Amino acid sequence: MIDRNLLKNIDWILIGLLLLNSMIGVAFIYSSSHYLPGNYFLKQIIWIILSSAALFLFLSIDYKILVAISFYFYIITIGLLGVVLLFGKLVAGARSWIKFPFFQVQPSEIAKIALILILTYFFSKYRKDYISWGKGLLGVALTAVPVFLVALQPDLGTALSYIPIFLLALILAGLNKKTFVYILIVILTLGIAVWNFGLKDYQKKRITTLIFPGQDPLGSGYQILQSKIAIGSGGFLGKGFRKGTQSQLRFLPARHTDFIFSIIGEEFGFMGILLALLCYFFFLLRLFQSISLSRDRAGVYLIFLVAMMISFQFFINVMMVIGLFPIAGIPLPLFSYGGSSLLTNYLAISLVLNVKMRRFYNV
Amino acid sequence: MKNDKIYEDLFLVQKRAKRIFILVGLLFIFLILNFWKIQILDHEKYWERSEANRMREILLPFQRGLITDRNGTILANNKSSFRVSLIRENCEDYEKSCRKIARLLGIEEEVLKERIKKYESLPLFKPIVVKENLTNEEVAMIKARKLELPELIIQTEPKRFYPFGSIAAHVIGYLQEISPEELEDGIHPERRLGDLVGKTGIEKEYEAGLVGVDGQLVEVVDSLGRSKGEIARLESRRGRDLTLALDFDLQKKAEELLEGREGAIVVLDAKTGELLALTSYPNFDPNSFINRFTSEEWLDLVNSPEFPLENRAIRGLYAPGSVFKLTMALGALDLGIVTDQTTYFCGGTIRIYGRPFSCWLEQGHGKVNLYDGIRHSCNIYIYQLGKEMGIEEIARYARMLGFGEKTGIDLPGEKDGLMPDPKWKREFRNEPWHPGETILVSIGQGPIMVTPIQVAAHTALIANRGSGISPHLYKSYSQAGNKKMSSPHFSKNYTVKIDQANFEKVIQGMWEAVNKEGTGRAAKVSGYDICGKTGSTQTISTKKLEEMTEEEEEEVKTHSWFTGFAPREDPKIIVTILVEYGGMGGETAAPLARQIFDLYRKKYDRQKSS
Repeated sequence: MIDRNLLKNIDWILIGLLLLNSMIGVAFIYSSSHYLPGNYFLKQIIWIILSSAALFLFLSIDYKILVAISFYFYIITIGLLGVVLLFGKLVAGARSWIKFPFFQVQPSEIAKIALILILTYFFSKYRKDYISWGKGLLGVALTAVPVFLVALQPDLGTALSYIPIFLLALILAGLNKKTFVYILIVILTLGIAVWNFGLKDYQKKRITTLIFPGQDPLGSGYQILQSKIAIGSGGFLGKGFRKGTQSQLRFLPARHTDFIFSIIGEEFGFMGILLALLCYFFFLLRLFQSISLSRDRAGVYLIFLVAMMISFQFFINVMMVIGLFPIAGIPLPLFSYGGSSLLTNYLAISLVLNVKMRRFYNV
Repeated sequence: MKNDKIYEDLFLVQKRAKRIFILVGLLFIFLILNFWKIQILDHEKYWERSEANRMREILLPFQRGLITDRNGTILANNKSSFRVSLIRENCEDYEKSCRKIARLLGIEEEVLKERIKKYESLPLFKPIVVKENLTNEEVAMIKARKLELPELIIQTEPKRFYPFGSIAAHVIGYLQEISPEELEDGIHPERRLGDLVGKTGIEKEYEAGLVGVDGQLVEVVDSLGRSKGEIARLESRRGRDLTLALDFDLQKKAEELLEGREGAIVVLDAKTGELLALTSYPNFDPNSFINRFTSEEWLDLVNSPEFPLENRAIRGLYAPGSVFKLTMALGALDLGIVTDQTTYFCGGTIRIYGRPFSCWLEQGHGKVNLYDGIRHSCNIYIYQLGKEMGIEEIARYARMLGFGEKTGIDLPGEKDGLMPDPKWKREFRNEPWHPGETILVSIGQGPIMVTPIQVAAHTALIANRGSGISPHLYKSYSQAGNKKMSSPHFSKNYTVKIDQANFEKVIQGMWEAVNKEGTGRAAKVSGYDICGKTGSTQTISTKKLEEMTEEEEEEVKTHSWFTGFAPREDPKIIVTILVEYGGMGGETAAPLARQIFDLYRKKYDRQKSS
């Protein structure tokens, strides 16, 4: 299946960093949910094992083939998003899950991989220094379809997380300053339109709460405040593993998913945060370093977009728990509890490994 | 050459990616600075808030909507009361706490633990009510022990209060703690364990409109449970006020009239179907029910042999007795079996189907036409109609005129009553119908059952010459209040297919019964055109009666009915009275009706009739 020579070229350090960060996540999922029924940390471990298997399986196909057939992959994903809209399971007011006998998946997560592959396919074939309008608009169309389908679920947080993937692909493809300004103008106009017509009241509230925290102290303001108290009270060294005294935090929804970073801050303090950030930084650094080892444009695009997808979610989530960004329901990649997100990130890393592994091959 | 271009290209995109990564690195530094600020610089502030401070959510209970009569007299109000609650999370030693609290509040430890157990499913930081309606002394005592027992908190809550106690108790109903079954049913989606909800009457029927929305207060408390200031406050929203159609004076009068008896009075606005009064006696004081803990009084009432909790006006099932003769007369006229001039001879008894049936007047009424039949309530006359009509026709007219089905009054628990016919008897008693039963049913005896509210609606149908109303208590909701409530519809305004002239004839009979020395003469108010019909229903079977001695027969009193309306033209008010074991309708129920008619005329109808 995989050539022995290829196996030698697998970036084990990257895999090590991936697993390290995943295990940090498991530890804090345990700390924040061991008193709840549901055994979340055990489930997460099972997901890590399954995702690792998927990662290696995915490696066996040459990334060039993956990119070449990316259009079919994209079409299937869009189909799945349509299916989930029609027949998905309603969870917390949104239809984003497809239910299977023993587990459920979120196609909107997998769609990120499809988007990365198809953008790579179209942009990497283009060999000029700056991108043309036609290519740019094609990219807009390819991104807009999943964004709308997911926004309809409605899961605005995930829908919006597709847009940076596209924008960063554009930047890589080469944007001159003028075009960049145009795009900013379009985004601003769209933003105003979405604010007025697309956002639900609770979503608007989250954003206004960020600017005026006093406005909604019982709703999302309460969550931000609780999260900040947890982190702030952790101090330099924290209160110790499983010893977070912020019993109030127990009433924070999604503390083992979206607010997992607050638990780290409370239980291991500033040092813990620093260590966690460092682990994450090395992980991202390793990804970016891989870019220069790619032998073709497609590889550069793949690694870069994967790195940016993870970085973007990471920054949004961490800024969310310290009150610098509205509560958007975006999980912390690798740390937060959740199988679909984990699988997506593992598959994304698999793409990076794929590119690195085949850099000397068949040149 | 081509290859060169590719490599140059690659270099360019890699350079761009590197620039972006510099941004990522800068963002990391930015994050670290932020965590530095929160965890190191502001640590003290957050530490205090997390350690010395716990947040406490306090419920700000809403005010339930008021219930008033049509003139604004408040029948259901709210007054503030104190209750003490336990926050389990704050207990150092739960067992010790329970012992101390039990002693302090004068409750048995077992009882206290039972109460807490009921709310086990609530999160530990939620207060659990352990005692309510505290006296000022108790409040002072608990406050003095604050340091010793930080797990106890005192809360105020608006508590339902019925200023007139038992007056209109059956109409208004009462509140009690939501039951586990109701919680599971989801009929009160926004209510939680421990909340009080309407259990009967208007409080239950209009629960959705009367409830408001609880507010919430989040405050910071130190480790001793002392408040260190509010963080957030969400005011509660009160429920909608509800105006009932009831007239307090009439209602009060009706209750006074029934005092010492068992029975029901229904007073209806003839045109609209609005209930001006609805009484059931004996009654009860709903104030004693608004309690989270089952009180002695409640058990006493539930187990009382007089069933004071039963609303006899809508749930009491009685034979209609001679009141049913109105249905018979209308049916026979409509079928053309008799005209108002057809006469029968009443000699006191008659043999039908080989069995003797007697009139209530032993010596008989002599020659009786339709008007006399109603005026003197002659059984013999009606027996003949019954024999001619047959049970199927009787049942058809009875149903047409409002018997055997609910009136649709806006109170929970109304009963259907029963209009028997051969089909019913086959199904439920598995016996064939005996022709003799037809004769019994024709004078409103036998298995036929009606409720006082049905009789009142039936009377309104006659008074309006064939157009029916649906009796209801609702008048209006207030403009202000929690959610928008749409008015319920009472559009059962239907017309029956009986010639108006036939109604006039029956009404003539009813008028004579009251005004021409008929059985209803005791209801007469001079100068007021009252039409009415009395009824006296045997409370035990004729067979049993025959086995008794004459003295024993005297002892067994009949249920006493009167139903009527006024004035004869353009009717305004319907009065229906039932007194259990009241004796003859003309002797007991009719004089009570007179007082209601009299009060109504004085209050509302003076100008017209004088």
